[in-house]
Amino acid sequence: MVLVIGGIASGKREYVKKYLGYTDEDMADAVLDDRPVVYNVQDIVFSGSVPDDVLLEKLLEKDVVICNEVGSGVVPAEKKERAAREAAGRLCVALAEKADKVVRLYCGIPLVIKGA
Amino acid sequence: MRTLVIGGAACGKSEYAEALAAVQPEPRYYIATMMPFSREDYLRIEKHRLQRAEKGFITMERFTDLKGLVLPQRGTALLECLGNLTANELFAEGGAGEDGAYDAVTSGVLALEAQCSELVVVTNDVFCDGVRYPLETQRYIDILARVNNTLAARFERTVELVCGIPLPVKS
Repeated sequence: MVLVIGGIASGKREYVKKYLGYTDEDMADAVLDDRPVVYNVQDIVFSGSVPDDVLLEKLLEKDVVICNEVGSGVVPAEKKERAAREAAGRLCVALAEKADKVVRLYCGIPLVIKGA
Repeated sequence: MRTLVIGGAACGKSEYAEALAAVQPEPRYYIATMMPFSREDYLRIEKHRLQRAEKGFITMERFTDLKGLVLPQRGTALLECLGNLTANELFAEGGAGEDGAYDAVTSGVLALEAQCSELVVVTNDVFCDGVRYPLETQRYIDILARVNNTLAARFERTVELVCGIPLPVKS
């Protein structure tokens, strides 16, 4: 599994298309189905619709997992938002640990931060 | 060696900083800065305590006036974290307030640095959510950014944690 992370509109999906050869049809927007790529994973976490451990397991079966980096802001005032942000961060740490490769997009430039 | 460890929420920066400090000379002091207000805060403190339980740290709590902290012996210090310390100096009773917060935090770190042979400082990246906050919060962000920039310039090493992966910013 390749984990692709980065800020909003940092070029994550473009990277997956250009360098990993997937098309828009291969990419699921915050839903878990048969498509090999899923993006906006932070939205799945925020919705709370899938238990954390089940989500991790399902995501590890994907070819590519794309998630926004959401932790680099002021601590949210709402408890629920704090917990969601924490959960998204922890999920990404767990995904990165198991991923063959982790790529961080920054200004459209891919930085491979794990694997080759 | 002085190391600044930075990252967003739940990026693995504490674990990394603890692992880094845990192999440095004893005694190892863990300077905790979080002023607990709620059950959530106490649970968070407990979680961190358990996480570092076997790593041989002596915990010292310090919420403001870091400059006045005296380490019993020379060794290793892990300060966690500047996000809390800055908020305490700015907003808490007994804090240095708006005009003094930057100096209180930076001079506190310098005073700590003078008392140990190895120093690891954890700080927070609160700068990248693209949200424009009320003036009070904006001041906090500005001061923390200045503290981070000062220490990153001063320290030998700065490491950013991303998804549990350490990325060298300065080494």
